[in-house]
Amino acid sequence: MNYVEWLRVRNLLRNVAIVLGILVILAVVLRVSVSRYMSPDAWISHFENHPGVQISQSTLPDGTKRTVIDNRAEQTHVVIDDHGYHGKHIVITEPTKNAKEDKHVNVGSMHVYDSHNGTTETTVIDTNGAVPMIYYMALADVVALIVATILAAPFAREIDGHLEIALMKPVSRERYAVGTIVADVAGILATSVLTIVAFYICQLLFESPRLDFSGINAQAIAMGVACPLAWYAMLCGATTWLNRAYGAVLGFAWPVTILIAVLTRIDPGNVVALFIHDVAWVLSRLIPLSYVWFAAPDQTGISDYSAPNFGPRFAVVTLFFVVYAAIAIWQWRRVEA
Amino acid sequence: MMTISISNLRKQYRQVAAIDGLSLEIPGGSVFGLLGPNGAGKTTTFKCMLGLARPTSGMVLYDGRPLVPATYEKIAYVPERSVLYDWMTVAEHVEMNRRAYANFDVKRAHDLLAQFNIDLRRRARALSKGMRTAVMVAIAFARNAELLVLDEPTAGLDPVNQRVVLSLIINEAAKGNTVVFSSHQIGQVERAAEQIAVIDRGRLVLEGTIDDLKTDRKIVEGIFPDVSYTLDGIANDPSVARVDRTERIVRLLVTSHADDIAARLTRAGAMGVREVDLNLEDIFLYAVAPATATADIVAKESSS
Repeated sequence: MNYVEWLRVRNLLRNVAIVLGILVILAVVLRVSVSRYMSPDAWISHFENHPGVQISQSTLPDGTKRTVIDNRAEQTHVVIDDHGYHGKHIVITEPTKNAKEDKHVNVGSMHVYDSHNGTTETTVIDTNGAVPMIYYMALADVVALIVATILAAPFAREIDGHLEIALMKPVSRERYAVGTIVADVAGILATSVLTIVAFYICQLLFESPRLDFSGINAQAIAMGVACPLAWYAMLCGATTWLNRAYGAVLGFAWPVTILIAVLTRIDPGNVVALFIHDVAWVLSRLIPLSYVWFAAPDQTGISDYSAPNFGPRFAVVTLFFVVYAAIAIWQWRRVEA
Repeated sequence: MMTISISNLRKQYRQVAAIDGLSLEIPGGSVFGLLGPNGAGKTTTFKCMLGLARPTSGMVLYDGRPLVPATYEKIAYVPERSVLYDWMTVAEHVEMNRRAYANFDVKRAHDLLAQFNIDLRRRARALSKGMRTAVMVAIAFARNAELLVLDEPTAGLDPVNQRVVLSLIINEAAKGNTVVFSSHQIGQVERAAEQIAVIDRGRLVLEGTIDDLKTDRKIVEGIFPDVSYTLDGIANDPSVARVDRTERIVRLLVTSHADDIAARLTRAGAMGVREVDLNLEDIFLYAVAPATATADIVAKESSS
């Protein structure tokens, strides 16, 4: 196993852990700061100053704390069932202000359902629904992609002044290269796990999250694992033949990728635009990130999470990892001091 | 004891031949000095020997077999420049070698590093050039390798540590291991090596044991009464390797039979004839810069 690469990965993971640790500490501070606003008492204090408001509190047989706020003047009726860490179920009944269609919004663990019946509008808020893993994977992927970019020139780093050490290990170059890639892959996966754990802890500070691994979430996990690895392998293959210039490749990787993504979206209204669009589109096919999408706005403008053609896209991203890593290993075999 | 056979080695970078048809036999259990001026191809020779650079042609055999990854278990290399990882500590470099090589002796590495006064906790970036060299040397000698290839192993070291490295080299040979090293400090090579090879512009220009080279080679200097002297065919003698004429003085580099050549110069009319012994530095200079070597050697002899 490549000890030097393990050290690089270890040092980077330590930095990631420090950043995520700071994030968790900030979440703790936030939790303590907002604790009084999150309780039913906060709702009560908010309404109790309104004239004509009646507030009653009771405890249901299952331990749920129920708060009922009745504002006759504004014809508003609020029932809050506080299940503690299992979340709150809030039903708000009030006169319809504007004619609207029914609306259903999911954001993280929060589900909001807004319905209309004649002149009455009912809003139901559940604060502890299942959290789709796709949210966690999205956050984990951001961090994992950053780490993948940092790690993505292991061979170029050896070429930059350490070949006499790297090439004189009593193992074949292929085995050395595979060991290096395995170390980095483990580091990237560990980053994803660390990030998910950190964000889970953050959420746990506010509620008891129930994770949803079903359906599209399982696909998000699979793609969330494969995408940073393919991105890493692509940069690895692009830098192995470089000496000191590998830093430029890593530095420009994101701006160039974003630029290509933007250019693929330009309207091909004339010949020049069409040419740019087509070139950008072809280039984008070589970038693993181009194959990752799950959300598309539906007719109401709300994100609709679905994964059409997931199988082929996942296969392409996985294939990219294999092919780009093979290119890196092939180049490493030809390196000379 | 690992024997190295280099045959017809050639390494070409675009139009330039860094090594041009180099053939060497390095016997096992010996200390072999590779000498040459800057850019002569010493480092490239080492790289080709060790599989770090791919020869354009030729071959290198270790105990009659080509280099394979397992051979690296038996070879330790100290390059001329630092290849340490700046961000790693000395202890981590030791650990890296412990994990990579089965015969690595951690205790010996620690002892040698202590001898060089190097703190294991320091990062490589915090070490001076000489200390980095010392770390590489200590790790190489802790490898218990059968072959040590040392490219300028004393560069940047103080005289005390240079002496330590020379002792280590001699001790390795005493244990039956082979040491191949290069140095611009010819006195060190003379002290440690049994055999040398001198290369210049990628070509082998001199090879042999130091004792033989020093015994055989002499400068024979003759002073004639006027400038119109003739050498009566002395210059064509097979034992005369070079002739330098400076007005009334002629200096001949002879590879054998110096007394005979001196007698022939006397018979040719030389008023004064003398023989000057050569040290390794003189031999080296003759091999790579003959135009300036003779005068320097004789002048040095006269002043002493």
